Amino acid sequence: MAETGSPRRLVSPRPPPVPSAWRAALTRWLAPTVFLAPAVALLLVFLVYPLLSSFQLSTLDWNGLGEGGKPVGLGNWLRLAHDEIFWRSLRNNFLLAGLSVTFQLPTSMVLAVVLDEAGRGSRFLKIAYFLPLLMSSVALGVIFKNVYDPTFGPINAFLEAIHLHGPDWLGDRRYALLSVIAVICWQNIPFYMLLFLAALAAFPREQGEAAFLDGATQSQIFWRIKLPHLRGTVRTAVLLSVIGSLRYFDLIFVMTGGGPESASELMSTYMYRTVFASFQLGYGSTIASAMFLVVTAVAAVALRLSKRFETEV
Amino acid sequence: MHPGFVARVGAMVCSASLCLLAPMARAEDAQAITSWDIRTAAPWAKLVDDSVARFEKANPGVKVEQSHVLNDAYKSKLKIAFGAKQPPCLFTTWGGGPLREYVKSGQVVELTPFLEKDKAYTDRFLPVGFKSVTFGGKIYGVPAENTSPAVVFYNKEIFAKYGLKPPADWDELLKVIEVLKKNGIAPFALANKNKWTGSMYYMYLVDRLAGPEAFRAAVERQPGGSFAGPAFVEAGKRIQQLVKLDAFAQGYNGLDYDIGASRKLLYSGKAAMEVMGAWEAIIVQGENPEFSKKLDFFGFPAIPGGKGDPTNLVGTVGDQFISISTACKDPALAFKALETMTDDASVQARLEGKQLVPVKGLNPSDPYLKRVAELFSKASSVQLWYDQELPPKLGEVHKDTVQALFGLSLTPEAAAQQMEEAAKAELH
Repeated sequence: MAETGSPRRLVSPRPPPVPSAWRAALTRWLAPTVFLAPAVALLLVFLVYPLLSSFQLSTLDWNGLGEGGKPVGLGNWLRLAHDEIFWRSLRNNFLLAGLSVTFQLPTSMVLAVVLDEAGRGSRFLKIAYFLPLLMSSVALGVIFKNVYDPTFGPINAFLEAIHLHGPDWLGDRRYALLSVIAVICWQNIPFYMLLFLAALAAFPREQGEAAFLDGATQSQIFWRIKLPHLRGTVRTAVLLSVIGSLRYFDLIFVMTGGGPESASELMSTYMYRTVFASFQLGYGSTIASAMFLVVTAVAAVALRLSKRFETEV
Repeated sequence: MHPGFVARVGAMVCSASLCLLAPMARAEDAQAITSWDIRTAAPWAKLVDDSVARFEKANPGVKVEQSHVLNDAYKSKLKIAFGAKQPPCLFTTWGGGPLREYVKSGQVVELTPFLEKDKAYTDRFLPVGFKSVTFGGKIYGVPAENTSPAVVFYNKEIFAKYGLKPPADWDELLKVIEVLKKNGIAPFALANKNKWTGSMYYMYLVDRLAGPEAFRAAVERQPGGSFAGPAFVEAGKRIQQLVKLDAFAQGYNGLDYDIGASRKLLYSGKAAMEVMGAWEAIIVQGENPEFSKKLDFFGFPAIPGGKGDPTNLVGTVGDQFISISTACKDPALAFKALETMTDDASVQARLEGKQLVPVKGLNPSDPYLKRVAELFSKASSVQLWYDQELPPKLGEVHKDTVQALFGLSLTPEAAAQQMEEAAKAELH
């Protein structure tokens, strides 16, 4: 394209440098711009704009209908700071995150290691364990509502058979959240199991064999060799699990609706109830914005920490 | 590969924007009427489809585009549509608080002029049927479906076995509860995850204790009217009395009415009674025709010394009120469609399906409907469900506090006080 010895150059010995710089810049930026534009446009429209407008809505007292709404400044945020149900739902979110990390991930790890050791013969089990993840949360929620039914559910029928009085799983404030969390973990274990299985597949077998020949026990091989090898994956799993827990919605919504008496309320179900049942779009947006801040802050801290571990090791 | 990707994304963006344009393009067409409702159940949907077919036949060139949406999803969908100022032309609501919000946003057409113009049509309805869609003397909807009071359903077989009679007052009810408990049967089936189910007990207790005036005075903020008043506190006490007597089948605060958890208790004979809207009989007949033969009902018992007339009802006169939104290009045409959906043929078809539309001179041959109709003709007042009558925010506070009463985690005084605080902030 750019012919160096073109006659034009002879005519004007000092060509203006701008166009060629322009052209260089253009060629350098054109392709990325064209390729990024659609993604950026989509992000702007469906992520950045809703995010900003939700912060803006959080300063209004508005039912979401008709014109405008009454600006209340930080009124909604002050109300949030004193809202017992919001703090309870935040605590519940962290409890969910904590139990996900301490219960769900180790279980997935055990399953993954065992299945990995079992080799080929475990193909059927792999599929069987994977099934819960494939089911729709709503269907699962309805099934478990029946499983937990204090009169007709199999759990209490079993307890009855061994002369124990089964508790009221979903209707008692003390158990409702834990009952649902158990189902959430059960549904998500296969996902993390798959993640760990994939990482274990990349583990060089010779290392394990060499250690074995050197007299290492299975547990030494796991704790000293395999687990360090999986460190990156575990970090990813913890991060995904924590963030997922903080934004969780479906099974709680289907099984308890956040009840009884907000005992199993999460930030997202509380937001939904506020906007759609009690018509408070402004306050609901405040909850949504607070949720965004919490999730972002936790994710940032978690990323930071995991990076530090990376350099320390 | 890459240009292909760009083209694909481009196509996606274009089609997405076309999607956004599509409803607007449709609204331009005056000959299409969009109509949303919750009649997803087959027999119910057929009733509407039939009347729509009649309307389309009588008005060639006009098309009614219907959407039948599931109950809970419908409420969200409608709210989003109104929030985006693209409501459907015709839509149904339960009247009361939520509809009032839509009316206040200026997106609902006042129907009074249309109704006055067509007296022959309007005068068929019982005037009380318009009560929950009338705001400031203006009518915004027409009742299309059944009239449903809440009553106490009971298992005749169990009552006969233990020599029990439908209790007429609170003391008799306590005796019935005692006998049932002694025989290992849970007195009441209650699925209170849904909250409006437990609210029925509370509304009846308030009404029996102090009459409908107590609630009226509290809502209208009349002098002396308060949700913390003695009737509201006492109603909470009586609920907790029942809870402490173990009057409700285990797990009541977590059971889900929508998946039939309370009916299962009735069907299996593990519970003997349920306070529920009259529609329950229709559902039972569809679900369990065998059990339907054992099912009977009585009115909520009186309370000795209570000021409320024991014939008073809690419930709704007419349900699924059809309204017209201002998004309609041609409200007159939409009103014609509305008229066809609630004409004599529609009312008759509903009567055959055990539904009582609030129309004058209905003479149901079905013995069950006859008794329901009698309840209404005797009642000196019909209290609409609190959560429908109150503004949505307050309706939620009501349901939350009543669930807490059932859970024994709020004292009756504290629950009433919370409700009163919310009412002070919300009602002016």
